[in-house]
Amino acid sequence: MSMDVDHRALLALLVFCALPLVARTLSGTAVPALLAVPRDGLSRVLDGGLKLAGVVAIAALVLGLAGLHLTSQTVERVGSGAHLVLLFDRSASMDNTFADRQPGQGEESKSAAAKRLVTDFLARRPRDRMGVAAFSTSPMPVLPLTDHHHAVAAAVAAIDRPGLALTDVGRGLVLAFSTFDRDGTGAARAVLLVSDGAAVIDLRVQAALRDAVKRSPVRIYWLFLRTAGSAGIFDKPRAPGEDTPQAMPERHLNLFLASLGVPYRAFEAGSPQAVADAIAEIDRQETAPLTYLERIPRRNLARPAYGIAALAMALLLLARLAERGLGARPAARLHDAAKAAVHDATQFGRAA
Amino acid sequence: MRRPRPRTLLLAAALVLALVAALAPRLATRGTAFRLLAVVDVTGSMNVRDYTQDGRPVSRLDEVKTTLRALAARLPCGSELGLAIFTERRSFLLFEPVAVCADFAPLDGAIANLDWRMAWEGDSYIASGLYSGIALAGPLGADLLFFTDGQEAPPLPASGIPPFEGEAGAVRGLIVGVGGTTPVPIPKFDRDGREVGFYGMDDVPQENRHGLPPTNSELREGFHARNAPWGGEAASGEEHLSAVRTDHLEALAAKTGLAYVPLADAAALAGSVAAHARPRPVPGTWDSAPLPAAIALALLMAFFAAEALRARRPHPHPTTRTRVS
Repeated sequence: MSMDVDHRALLALLVFCALPLVARTLSGTAVPALLAVPRDGLSRVLDGGLKLAGVVAIAALVLGLAGLHLTSQTVERVGSGAHLVLLFDRSASMDNTFADRQPGQGEESKSAAAKRLVTDFLARRPRDRMGVAAFSTSPMPVLPLTDHHHAVAAAVAAIDRPGLALTDVGRGLVLAFSTFDRDGTGAARAVLLVSDGAAVIDLRVQAALRDAVKRSPVRIYWLFLRTAGSAGIFDKPRAPGEDTPQAMPERHLNLFLASLGVPYRAFEAGSPQAVADAIAEIDRQETAPLTYLERIPRRNLARPAYGIAALAMALLLLARLAERGLGARPAARLHDAAKAAVHDATQFGRAA
Repeated sequence: MRRPRPRTLLLAAALVLALVAALAPRLATRGTAFRLLAVVDVTGSMNVRDYTQDGRPVSRLDEVKTTLRALAARLPCGSELGLAIFTERRSFLLFEPVAVCADFAPLDGAIANLDWRMAWEGDSYIASGLYSGIALAGPLGADLLFFTDGQEAPPLPASGIPPFEGEAGAVRGLIVGVGGTTPVPIPKFDRDGREVGFYGMDDVPQENRHGLPPTNSELREGFHARNAPWGGEAASGEEHLSAVRTDHLEALAAKTGLAYVPLADAAALAGSVAAHARPRPVPGTWDSAPLPAAIALALLMAFFAAEALRARRPHPHPTTRTRVS
């Protein structure tokens, strides 16, 4: 906990804290000599107390005006979660439904389904640090790793806009892996690839990917939004000659990712429900201990400061009201007043 | 009852005001903020280095990124900024508008990550890109900031700017013209992203020969109505050089109901945003406490100052100033 003020220049007013030290709260009475008055401990304590109250009152008002606050800060906590990069396919085919049609009444496109489910997924994982990347014809970094889930949600919300032409999944993966490179916290890392197709990965890109996962191991989840009638991840080739990356890119991407030597799972989802199941499964898997930062917002202390100033001034005012000069009549006390009245009455009686 | 002394009254007033300050309400006010969608041109001509930062030449894209990051830091809290890139003939949304204050870190990082390598095609149909940017911003309820140098590649056909089918002025905002006024060569990159020189005159189409030929093309050398409607010579021109196309961008701005401003620093851009974007009321709070607190402080200081001044005045009778206690 550290304190700070908003307007440092106003702290110069703190010099006026010296005022109560040179000027007394009470008016006092000028008398020719006080040498005969004995030293009185209680009076000294009272004098010091009043001076202190004056200093506190001025200081509290100045600090309040300067905007005293406890600074916002981040506290490291340990929870369960992961560093997760969401890698979205934004090719044009994502705009179609699972039945490979233009979304019509009551149907949703694959990208809209992915958006809805990933948004839910975000809400269930408040502690993950997430980054977002997209790929189509070219890879596009969208958001760096961040704990601002509003921003991640805004990036996920953008994925149902019309997509681009091609599906260059290899360079997309390279980009997703490189998103992690800048942090060195040793947290669990995972890439969630959401796509509805695959493509041949260039040999040089394959080498780059193998290199990247060796340097920093990453778990990979592939959420394959399978369109009805299209090739699947786990399809077996019907003829030996068909078993090439060009003919069956989905199968070969799956084989390639499995061969990387890092934990990898593929989910083939042919309907929004299957996507939900797959995301629930990822949710269960990614629960490694994670050091995350929690923000404690700043707390304004101006009002408590004004309250303290009011308290100190109340003490000063009490002292002022209780002050009696040397000329004050003792009859100020009720008992004495009654006596004086009786005395007057008897005098009056005698005169009568 | 004795009349209270003036200093006591001062102190009592200061006390009351301090209490008022401690309990003062935070009043609800309406602040002004903006909801913006920044579309950044990432086509090849944005790699032209005709800006300088710290005495070093930087590309137009770098200058746009620097200005946009500074603008994000400068917008009033409650404002939102989304990001899209433009290349080919489309604006491509990266993320919907996010709060510039609360989500500044990821926003700043995302702008810093913009790169010409994100472009998916080499073409640069500015008018189409602008129209699709407007179509993106409309449903988001955002105003548009379209950063481009206005260099159409391939050049516009003879028929000129394609028609705008939306409603002019429905989406407001700015077209920000990027680049210097002197035409300079455009850097060329190989397939691995290494810079390999500059585009020459023969590398880029100098004239759009789709559609109908321009009027008066029959006056060109070698014109033939069927075989050479654009004349017999290869087109020549300055399309391989790039400068900000102010006229073209102003024409686009007039067509779409946006405003055109050249790129300057973030302060100027923020001023243009304030002038042309729709201000949105955002709930703000105004703390009413400082007013009574300031008066309380003044009264309290007057309370002590009065005594200090009185004590300095020479006393009518010589007295021994000794401490009472």
